[in-house]
Amino acid sequence: MSDAAAIARFDDFLPRNSHGRRYAQNVSDSSERDQIARAAAGDRMAQSALVNRHMPVVWRVAFRMLRDRQEAEDVTQETFLRAWKMLPEWEGRAKFSTWACTVAINLCRDRMKKKTPVLMETLPEREAGDLPPEQALHQKQAGARIATMIDALPERQKEALTLSALEGLGNKEAAAAMQVSVEALESLLSRARRTLRQALAEGQEE
Amino acid sequence: MTKTGMTDARVLQLLQAYGAWPMAWPEHEREAAEAHLAAYPERFADALADARLLDSAFEAEPMPEPDPSLAARILADAPQPRTSRDSLGTRLSRILMPNGRRWPAGAALASLGMGLFAGYTASASSVPVSYETEAEAVVYAALGYDQYDTYLEEAPLDE
Repeated sequence: MSDAAAIARFDDFLPRNSHGRRYAQNVSDSSERDQIARAAAGDRMAQSALVNRHMPVVWRVAFRMLRDRQEAEDVTQETFLRAWKMLPEWEGRAKFSTWACTVAINLCRDRMKKKTPVLMETLPEREAGDLPPEQALHQKQAGARIATMIDALPERQKEALTLSALEGLGNKEAAAAMQVSVEALESLLSRARRTLRQALAEGQEE
Repeated sequence: MTKTGMTDARVLQLLQAYGAWPMAWPEHEREAAEAHLAAYPERFADALADARLLDSAFEAEPMPEPDPSLAARILADAPQPRTSRDSLGTRLSRILMPNGRRWPAGAALASLGMGLFAGYTASASSVPVSYETEAEAVVYAALGYDQYDTYLEEAPLDE
């Protein structure tokens, strides 16, 4: 099978919540260990499966934190480069998604320390599908507004919200990726949501 | 508090932290929280409405997608199959030991066991060294002796 065929989008088959958000797929530990062992041995199918399952999440986490497509790509590539080196000694390590998000978040934090504030890059447009033009415009505006609000959150709250609410990681996995306790994650999520609720309410009043 | 130990306060915490969608709640609390919510819906109506509003807002948030070529670029850096880099010795050992080092060790152990068993059974069933075998009896009979003892008694000793 060619690489192009191997990297066909599996993401579309992952479970989604009522709003269409992807929810983390429960891959058994043994199945993931087997896949990692095969990927480490050079099995292209196993490598493609790992990339297809985890790369979009890693990239989105990086993009949401850095707001720069190129930088998010660099972080994603660096994360997987480290993963390829780690795979032969993976035995007993964390879930791949948790490990990859932890590495990506740390890389993003490093980059953000060096960065000077810049204007937010225009978000990629999402196809409006079959929505009438007026409704599509309204949705686009609402999307841009909430994206701006999320972007304005404190860094740790934004990380928690991105992993948990936007990428659908479980609470333990998101907490592990952020290297905090589950209680700390819940606290960050509650504060982030409270801030966003207030911002939304203020926006409606205007 | 319900029989499951779930409380109003905890359901509110779950709604405020994880939103209205039960799939986002911690797995070990999900069932109890859903049951509690269903038992006392009026207590959580406002919190549930707030959480749903925010969940809907998240849904409107544009979900960016990475460049389609990124996966191929990442895979280009992935480890190559081992066969292309293996030394002659590694390839030879793979031919001799297709299942790794455990295979010859197991085979050697099995061979040793089989050898011991064969040796034991062969020694147990082999004919004892005596004159009372059928062949010997025939030979002595041909020489005119009833048996070896008679032969020993009657045969002249070499001096």
